[in-house]
Amino acid sequence: MIVEFFFDIPALASTADMLRTWVIIISTMALALGAVNIMRVHWKYIKRREPGHWTYSICLITVFAVLTILGLINLKNPMVNPVYKWMFENVYTSLGQTLYAITGFYIFSAAYRAFRARNSDAAILLIAGCLVLLTNAPIGEVIWGQIPVIGTWVLEIGETPAMRTFLMTAAFGLLAYGFRTLIGKERGFYGEVAGGE
Amino acid sequence: MSEGIWNRMQRIDRRVLYWILFVGLMIPFIRPIGLPIAIKSSTRDLYEELRQVEEGEVAVLSISSGVSAWAECLPSMVACMKVLVQQNAKIIGWTTFIDGPLTWDKIVSLVPGLEEYTYGEDYVWFGYFAGAETGVAQLASDIRSVFTADYYGTPIDELQIMKDVNDVHDIKLVLSSDTGDACDYYIRQWHTPYGTPVAEVGIAMQGSAYMPHYRAGILFGMSVGVRGGAEMEKLINEPGNATVSMDAINISHIMLVIVVVLSNVGYIMTRGKR
Repeated sequence: MIVEFFFDIPALASTADMLRTWVIIISTMALALGAVNIMRVHWKYIKRREPGHWTYSICLITVFAVLTILGLINLKNPMVNPVYKWMFENVYTSLGQTLYAITGFYIFSAAYRAFRARNSDAAILLIAGCLVLLTNAPIGEVIWGQIPVIGTWVLEIGETPAMRTFLMTAAFGLLAYGFRTLIGKERGFYGEVAGGE
Repeated sequence: MSEGIWNRMQRIDRRVLYWILFVGLMIPFIRPIGLPIAIKSSTRDLYEELRQVEEGEVAVLSISSGVSAWAECLPSMVACMKVLVQQNAKIIGWTTFIDGPLTWDKIVSLVPGLEEYTYGEDYVWFGYFAGAETGVAQLASDIRSVFTADYYGTPIDELQIMKDVNDVHDIKLVLSSDTGDACDYYIRQWHTPYGTPVAEVGIAMQGSAYMPHYRAGILFGMSVGVRGGAEMEKLINEPGNATVSMDAINISHIMLVIVVVLSNVGYIMTRGKR
């Protein structure tokens, strides 16, 4: 597939096509496997009456079973089932949005505690962070007309080279990791210590 | 005495902070602020490029954000869809998120112009596909090898819109709405090898992550967070949820800066005494 990326050879393209299709099929099967595994793990929790877990596990298995059954009734488009639709729109959506919104409160508290100008580096980060924050909110411009100008400069000129360096480094690191994996030098994904035999 | 105040400024209980933020966020509900919103170049470029789409050209909306990101991504996605509908573009939607169909349904319900569109002819929804980046790569190569039917089970060859659409070469542009790195998939698998224009509609956090790509011309535009949504709403002259939410953004951001300044004043005043 790497060669196919660089060279236009029809035979390679069809092989790569086939391999990618296999990956999609395997990924789809992995979803089913994941679902079975979740059931297995949580069934164990219930059987053992695992403290702090088993009551939640009952909820999980119940909701999983209800949604699966409702989904199977209207297999082509589960959303036409009013109960299924109601659960998604009034339970899943509300919970998802609430959880995401709550992170705003945590960030508020965490920023208050962590954003301290303990040294010059931290002070620069703190000032840049505040400027970018105020650039994102129109109130920044109301406070001082130059805040968006400086904040945009920080974001576009100051941050971009650092982010590019990070991206390039990560990409080269990934290439090296991939190459080591291909030649059998990297076995961390087997659970072994990296480079271990 | 004074040292006590400085110390207290650094140790405000988190519950107090939560209440301060909560009460602060209530202010816009009682008295909306409605400050003017300046439009960033990244959002303007997104809008301008969408306005260049000609009648009958095919745009892909790839949804890789969940319902939790509706507050940030949905207004911009809706605005982008409205522009595409105004341009009489054909629209293909798919998702790498399991709750993508909910987002698609929401978008359809919020874009009035789609009523005049014919499903299957002018727009189509394929739903979820597995495989993440590999799936995106395969879509570039052959859409039919990933989807044999649309979300509702209609075979792909019976969909009028897909008659001349087989792979990446038949797509005018891609709008990737995501909360993670799905836009990278399109950059790597669609833009780099085939030159397909790609734009990002993401959460605020992604503004910095994708800025290098935008500055390098890899992304033709970006709509970042609620602010991006509000800017898009302003550009299409239809204020909506994002415009309303900007009041909350104003309050929360200024309050965050105030508490950070307070904690640092306390820290600096007590630093020499530690």
